[in-house]
Amino acid sequence: MHRVQARINGKDYEHEVEARLLLVHYIREKARLTGTHVGCDTGNCGACTILYNGKPVKSCMLLAVQANRAEITTVEGLAGNGLHPVQEAFLNRFAVQCGYCTPGMLLSASSLLESNAAPSEAEIREALEGNMCMCTGYQQIVDAIKYAAETMRASTGKSL
Amino acid sequence: MMNLDEIFVTRNWVGKSVRRDEDIRLIKGEAAYVDDLDMDCAHVAFLRSVYAHARITKIDTSKAEALPGVIAVVTGPEVAKQTKPIVARAITQPAIQYVMADKKVRYVGEPLVAVAAVDRYIAEDALELIDVEYEPLPVVVEIADALKKDSPLIFEEAGSNVLLHDTLEHGNMDAAYQEADLVVKEHFRVHRYSSTPLETWAMIAKHEKGNDSFVVWANDQQPGRSTANVCNTLGIPNNRFRLIVPDSGGGFGIKLAIWPHIVILCLLAKKVDKPVKWVQTRREHLLGGSHAPDCDVEIELPMKKDGKILGLFIKDIENDGSFVHTAGIYGLIKFATMVGCYDIRATRAELLSVVTQKGPTVQNRGVGKPTMIFVLERMMDIAAKKLGLDPVEIRFRNFIQPKQMPYTTPSGEIYESGNYPECLQKALSLSGYDELKKRQIEMRKNGKYIGLGISAGIEPGTSNLGYYYTSRGVPEYMGNAEGAIVSIDYDGNVNVVMGSVDQGQGHATTISQVIADMLDIHPERVSVDSHLDSLVSPFLGHSGAYSNKFNDVDLGAVIMATKKVRDKMVRIASHVLGVETGGLQVKNGAVCSRKDEQKSVSFQEIASLAYKKILLLPEGVEPGLKEIAYYKNPMAKLPSRDDFNVQITHSNSVHVVAVEVDVETGEITFLKYVIVHDCGKQLNPGIVEGMTIGSTVHGIGAALLEEFVYDENGQPLSASFMDYMKPLAGGLPRIELAHMESPCPYTLLGTKAVGEGGAIGSVAAVANAVEDALSPFQVKVVSLPITPQKVVKAVKETKEI
Ligand code: FES
Ligand code: FES
Repeated sequence: MHRVQARINGKDYEHEVEARLLLVHYIREKARLTGTHVGCDTGNCGACTILYNGKPVKSCMLLAVQANRAEITTVEGLAGNGLHPVQEAFLNRFAVQCGYCTPGMLLSASSLLESNAAPSEAEIREALEGNMCMCTGYQQIVDAIKYAAETMRASTGKSL
Repeated sequence: MMNLDEIFVTRNWVGKSVRRDEDIRLIKGEAAYVDDLDMDCAHVAFLRSVYAHARITKIDTSKAEALPGVIAVVTGPEVAKQTKPIVARAITQPAIQYVMADKKVRYVGEPLVAVAAVDRYIAEDALELIDVEYEPLPVVVEIADALKKDSPLIFEEAGSNVLLHDTLEHGNMDAAYQEADLVVKEHFRVHRYSSTPLETWAMIAKHEKGNDSFVVWANDQQPGRSTANVCNTLGIPNNRFRLIVPDSGGGFGIKLAIWPHIVILCLLAKKVDKPVKWVQTRREHLLGGSHAPDCDVEIELPMKKDGKILGLFIKDIENDGSFVHTAGIYGLIKFATMVGCYDIRATRAELLSVVTQKGPTVQNRGVGKPTMIFVLERMMDIAAKKLGLDPVEIRFRNFIQPKQMPYTTPSGEIYESGNYPECLQKALSLSGYDELKKRQIEMRKNGKYIGLGISAGIEPGTSNLGYYYTSRGVPEYMGNAEGAIVSIDYDGNVNVVMGSVDQGQGHATTISQVIADMLDIHPERVSVDSHLDSLVSPFLGHSGAYSNKFNDVDLGAVIMATKKVRDKMVRIASHVLGVETGGLQVKNGAVCSRKDEQKSVSFQEIASLAYKKILLLPEGVEPGLKEIAYYKNPMAKLPSRDDFNVQITHSNSVHVVAVEVDVETGEITFLKYVIVHDCGKQLNPGIVEGMTIGSTVHGIGAALLEEFVYDENGQPLSASFMDYMKPLAGGLPRIELAHMESPCPYTLLGTKAVGEGGAIGSVAAVANAVEDALSPFQVKVVSLPITPQKVVKAVKETKEI
């Protein structure tokens, strides 16, 4: 057994875990944050995407012990009480159908917009390479991210 | 179509892209899919067959049972003793299969032993300790192997690997052949693929020891039928089984037959003092979580020199793998709309369902129609080439004309409305087809190969479930219907409970739009519980989400239940206001006098009479404001081999695609993708757009990327997303979508099917475009998927994909 102290969405968690426990299972079952999903467990689908020390990673590809002293953001922590502009955009642009890919998509998208405030369609599509959606065919997701970028630029007053 | 004025009192919401507020939970990570439910469960893992065909000589689970943390184990032979065999829906030959392998295994991935343990990790550890001895048997993988005279039998009792063989003929085919100037023939092979919902199958079963009953939470797509099947298989009364369906992460048909696993979990739950949970791994899903069958289709078109098609013959052989429940249904569904958008007056369909050692099949998005439209639309291009006609022209010469609507096909399918020529015309102009043609010629000079593909397809909706007439004189299910409960609560707000389920189609929003316009309230005042509970939800054998039935019978039930509630409120208001019901109207969440709107009583006030001050209700009016209604589509015919409609609504669309093919690498790039879609009245264009594009991408994946590959021993080679390739955001075209609107006369709101159409038209359109691009190399496309390797090989050597 190993002791894991992780900070998830600004809150501290501490658990004894087995060495083989996957991080995604730690988040879902120990921290009981079930917004992070499992779609494959082979690192292909991106449903388990989280921010690990600020970077999007697939939490089925990490062990829970690797979360020790890490700073993690899951979809539950993406915004405070309200909605992150990307969430707002997903809602307004019909980017959600079954919602199973959505948490992972939102984290990949928000992290893209952190580093690139005005991504082109091709850049958005590239940033989503690690996230599968079986419902939407991606188009409305791409449009939502574009729209989120616009609203975020407008609200920060940055123009290009 | 009903008089819309009888349904709606306002037109503020229906037809608008109202935002899906049910998504708020989803985007905040607050959804409750089965695996998210907060229950203290034991966790289940399955030992699955590693052989494609073998006799089981020994199963020893003692070591596994001794592993600390293991709670219970059930084996196939044990389960077989306690259950009835899987019920077959369409096949005519006897084939006995249990929900778990019993004496022999028939495919890699077939469940053999289920283990419940304190956590999933330990359950998986336990699988390693189970000792199974197999005696391998010769395997049958491909259709041709299954049909050989001396082929090993997968179900000995059937006496053959063909479980269904039927020929259905309508109109005079002999005359069609006699009158024909030529007969165009081809032979196509379509591969196995699946729409693979991102959430796999998941279920929790709890055994109530006190009254020996079960409660199950599962992401079941067809709870009406599943409930019956689970009870029959377990041999328990209906009132000992309760099914609850929480949020579901996509379905596409792939969750229509998860009930055999529910049966296993129930038996395991009997041995455990807490609920048992199983979440399918992606590997399990790809091995045996059901596929669309691969198939082999011979097709013949007797035609005139001018391009007019006189008849259509298909010999369709489906490789249904090893799952007797759904075997045989693809052919029957495919046959129903085999003429596509064309006026073809004679048809003959020879349908075969064969069993092999491939995994189970189930109704994947479009169920056979993607293949039927693929072969038919490929044939239109092939015939055009033979006759020196333009592919556009040959379609115009054969289309069913708008003045022929409603049009009855030779077998009795009724196409209720639509303008197919105009749909093609619109798609051509929107895509700039003529310009693209010119560009094609220009680019060829520079050694670049672009191709244009067209497909015109029918997207049927609302299955008339009596279509299993092949095997059952009187099928167990007929027609189609759904139930809804609509109530007004203390606050005058509306609550809805459905008999159907939702896997992401936005049903709640669409329902709230319809009710908002029926009661003149804001849609926010309508709450729809999209979760199903078989104990309380209005429930029929048809209940579920399949064959695009939502826009028809599900909404029909909502409308009828809302009307009942509205009528009751008007009756109470009439009593309160002293105004005849005919002099009243529903306005702004209240009932008021038409003459004097001041004379008004709000829904909330009416509710307080109905629920609380019941002594003030008019004579003969029951307390409460909750109504249930079931609605069945009136057009479903009784089962018959001569005249039958398998589906009741028929949307149509045209896809126009331009691709560039790199003949050196085989890479295919999209230059243009246009769809003109006619699904009758659209209730929420934002939702329709999403379903159409999503569905189209399923077809693109099927045409270019996805394939379940098996080796000659029946070993699956594509059991992860590394080998089973799905479309990703990059590499897909931007899809341009335009609509036409031919209302359906036989649904209450004029709606038709939405959701499967994209998957139906896209496969053919992409294939036609690739063949067109490769026409300088005389390459013919007669199989799928069109992979880069196949393209390169065809250009250099085989001339055939
Ligand atoms: S679950 Fe982690 S990538 Fe699919
Ligand atoms: S919305 Fe269902 S997987 Fe993306």
